[in-house]
Amino acid sequence: MNSVFQLFIKYGYHLIFIILEIFCFYLIIQYNRVQNEIFFNSSNVYIARLATSTNKMYQYLNIRQVNDSLSRENANLIENLIRIDYINTEIPQLDSAFSQYSIIPAPVCNHTFQLANNHITLCKGRREGIEPNMGVISEKGIVGIVRNVSDNYAHVISLLHSQTRISCAVQSRNTHGNLVWKTMDPQTMILESVPKHQFIAIGDTVVTSGYSTIFPKGIKVGRIEKFEVVPGSNSFEITVKLFQNLSSLPYAYVVKNRFAAEQLKLEEEVKNE
Amino acid sequence: MQIWRFILLLLVQGLIFKQIQFADEPWYYLHIFVYPLFTFLLPVKLQNSIVLVLSFIMGLLVDWFYDSPGVHAASLVFTAYLRPLILGILEPYEGYNMNEIPGLKRMGLGWFASYISILMIIHLFFYFSVEAFSFVFIFDIVMNTLFTFTASLFVILLLQYIFSSK
Repeated sequence: MNSVFQLFIKYGYHLIFIILEIFCFYLIIQYNRVQNEIFFNSSNVYIARLATSTNKMYQYLNIRQVNDSLSRENANLIENLIRIDYINTEIPQLDSAFSQYSIIPAPVCNHTFQLANNHITLCKGRREGIEPNMGVISEKGIVGIVRNVSDNYAHVISLLHSQTRISCAVQSRNTHGNLVWKTMDPQTMILESVPKHQFIAIGDTVVTSGYSTIFPKGIKVGRIEKFEVVPGSNSFEITVKLFQNLSSLPYAYVVKNRFAAEQLKLEEEVKNE
Repeated sequence: MQIWRFILLLLVQGLIFKQIQFADEPWYYLHIFVYPLFTFLLPVKLQNSIVLVLSFIMGLLVDWFYDSPGVHAASLVFTAYLRPLILGILEPYEGYNMNEIPGLKRMGLGWFASYISILMIIHLFFYFSVEAFSFVFIFDIVMNTLFTFTASLFVILLLQYIFSSK
């Protein structure tokens, strides 16, 4: 103990020096305006630089997941490509059917899903070839119908709109009806006017019927959750759970039907006769 | 003796030499600091810790006059910390005597001038660095140090001559 004390007397002044200097610099930075500003500003500069490089490092940490998702997407695309090639070579007469529709990808700028009449705005417009009355789909299901276009934007009536009526069929049941939205729930819609003598089951997939010029045939919409016969009516009221969650929709695809004008013109002529 | 020197140097520094300020280039670089003389003239064999603490008190009181909490104290503590090293380098062939004050009369002008010069340069450079607080102002720091060093050395030697002749 004594020797420790002597050691302190001999070398303790280093410690005292450090303590006193720390205290002095505390006083300097705390009570002198110029030094205070320089200290905090330069430390801010260093801290900002540190944060930037840390951020860069974290990006590298994520790179494996980013790579994974990119390669998964690549695989998906290649798979689709192969399937299209296969169909084209096997059944050449379907060529024209496949080229009837072209797809325009468009990011979603703005969308609502809580109102009685919901709308979506896409960040692409007439310049990219979008026109009114085109269908809008996503990778999981249908989204809406283009109402108005400007040069760079397209205004889309969402499925979640009181005036939506989309012709849909129950897959492999040879029956169809109109899809409307009256539930106020962004996840479910009602399939109306399916005659009550038809056979349907819970879990059946609802797809687009292709009877209009808007949506191609067979795009998946949702799954039958429950159905009932409305009293005094001749048809089912079928609750359909949508595949696409319309409350989160970052990206959509506009379906362009090259023969829509031709079909509508022909139908118009028949009407006029 | 030491306590009187302490009070005298503090008052001279805070009341008289603080007033010496020039507005024109290059004389605004010139300041006069005599209070480090207190640390320089403490007995050679005094405990280093005590030297540090006394220097800290001296620096804080000077800061009180200068409205710059910690700046003089930090530099004087730093100078006091390096004092044993400089004393060791400048140690005469026969060594120091117990309780000896390393003053002008006892050590001679040559030794005293080099002792004061080294510590004063260290002290002033540290002081002006801390005052500017960034080596962006290195030119100002060096100019301040050189001008102040010359003037302060002159004043300190003068004071030593006056008080040693008694």
